Amino acid sequence: MTIVRKLVPYVIAIIASFAAAGIFIALTGANVFQAYETILFTSFRTPNGFVQTLLKFIPLTLQALAFTIPLTAGKFNMGGEGQMIVGAIAASVVGILGADLPAVILLPLVVLAGVAAGAIWGFIPAWLLYKFNINEILTSMLLNFVSFQIIDLVATGSLRDPVAGHPTTVQIGQGGFLPMLIKNPPLNAGLILALLVAAGVYLYTTRTTGGYELVATGANPRAAAVFGINVKRMFVFSIVLAGAIAGLSGVIEVAGVQHRLIVGLQHNFLVLGVIIALISRGNNLAVPFVAFFIAILEIGASAMQRTMNVPIEMVFIVEALVLLFVLLSDVFRRR
Amino acid sequence: MDSLVTFLRLTLLSMVPFVLAAQGTMLGGRTGVFNVAQEGIMLVGASLGFIGSYLAGGSTLVGIAAAVLVGGIFGLALAYFTTTLKMNQFVIGLSLLFIGTGLSTLIPKLVIGVTLSQPLIPTLQDLPIPLLSQIPFLGTVLFSHNILVYFAIVLSIGLWYFLFRTQLGLELRSVGENPNAADSLGINTSKHRYVTAILGGMLIGLAGAYLPMVYTGTFTEGMVKGRGWLTIALTFFAGWSPLPVLYGSLFFAGIEVASYRFQAGGIAIPYQYLLMVPYLATILVMMFTFRKTRVPGFLGNNYDREKRSL
Repeated sequence: MTIVRKLVPYVIAIIASFAAAGIFIALTGANVFQAYETILFTSFRTPNGFVQTLLKFIPLTLQALAFTIPLTAGKFNMGGEGQMIVGAIAASVVGILGADLPAVILLPLVVLAGVAAGAIWGFIPAWLLYKFNINEILTSMLLNFVSFQIIDLVATGSLRDPVAGHPTTVQIGQGGFLPMLIKNPPLNAGLILALLVAAGVYLYTTRTTGGYELVATGANPRAAAVFGINVKRMFVFSIVLAGAIAGLSGVIEVAGVQHRLIVGLQHNFLVLGVIIALISRGNNLAVPFVAFFIAILEIGASAMQRTMNVPIEMVFIVEALVLLFVLLSDVFRRR
Repeated sequence: MDSLVTFLRLTLLSMVPFVLAAQGTMLGGRTGVFNVAQEGIMLVGASLGFIGSYLAGGSTLVGIAAAVLVGGIFGLALAYFTTTLKMNQFVIGLSLLFIGTGLSTLIPKLVIGVTLSQPLIPTLQDLPIPLLSQIPFLGTVLFSHNILVYFAIVLSIGLWYFLFRTQLGLELRSVGENPNAADSLGINTSKHRYVTAILGGMLIGLAGAYLPMVYTGTFTEGMVKGRGWLTIALTFFAGWSPLPVLYGSLFFAGIEVASYRFQAGGIAIPYQYLLMVPYLATILVMMFTFRKTRVPGFLGNNYDREKRSL
């Protein structure tokens, strides 16, 4: 019964935002109900559509977790995008330079390099927060813009694939590819990694002492400090862990999906990750489910743009509105 | 000498979006409303400024009015959700940021459709001040700009006078420092928060409109390029004061212009390094100034008069 009651505001939020978007869709002159149908069911019509949805689900889940973990400690990581990019860069540089290594060695190296790079990129704002007390929201966000230039530098540098029109590196070694779960349509083992990470984060925050300290820090830093928790260290740890997870999402894009570094691989993942995290209200258990829902919308949105000429941003507005309505439902519950 | 004149002139020209957006941020912050949606409001301001001008047959005035109006609406939304509904300011700011970003690309697609190249609008004319613009050196650097450059400077001085030399300004600042005390003196805290958030939003929207109206003549996706976030940093280390915001904007604009001019100058480092400079420089400056800066005491918080303690 309680779970049903918890879901009610979400259902209302979704209906309300679809209704709002319907007005915009009608303005474009498209058939509103056909648009809804495309958005909601493209993922389930074909095996390819479903696999595409899962491939979106992987980075979305990881990006959302990269936001919820620091959020648990009361901090905001806005650098998921940059951490993903440097993770992808490290993974592809290692994958290209070690192209001749066998898979047993290369694959772990690729994954570790990417995760470590993401963690380091997360460590910068964490350290600035720890040492200089600089607001982590700003620094993590500004580092995203730095990473956009670094990826451009790498993809147009000596590793560039001269044949590709768009800035892209050459392929990483075969040994660095993530194993495939399904060959056609291609689904890589990143799905399992993402689910393991999601489960791990959930268990960590709910079942371990360290996780409890994280939650306590977020709930009331002063009380936590009184009880002997090193609050500032928890802040650093949570942002570094988030960076590592965001870095992993970059690794999976490279080693699992593209097998090369492509400028622009981060798409809109940061914003969607934050939306997912906030719709989940920071609840790590809810994150994968919300991420799956958003993945469905995203795949439906591209299909809608292709077949009906309705701009893809329409769905982005829907997602932002769902978030706003979910947040509003809190206000009305308070009364 | 010539290149110095050009550099200073361009710095003044590029200072405007920073000044407008940062004064808007500062104004809201002075009553405790911390806006983090700058990037989104600037984008939607740029988008509507462009569309408004385009639909009105190239009328700059209509474009500016559209941008200011939409900025005001975003400010109003921020004030309503945080001041009346008492929701978390950062989370609401992010939601507005996302909605603004989405609308900024959606609206041109709906109005103009998807075209190979966007249409152009006329950019703002330079308005040399008679006599003053004749002065050698200073005339070119200071007195022959578009009207928004003058507006940005006058606005900064006006805001300083208003906030630190008038009764109303003092009341307004008290709301951001200690709303409890302000409330007990009969100051309407909600009204102050609404007014500053809306005016702040308008300025940020105008800052966005400056980009298509002066730089490019058209709207492109993501054209604000992090300026909104840089603005927040700028406001912080300007200590939430109007005049330091003005000087700080000159500094930011100087870095921006320098990094572009180096690029055009054909210096043998990859341009990507130059494009990183504004963000890295900002982080560096924050390292040295962040601890010392003064921040309004109640920044980012919502005042609930029915609660006993803060």
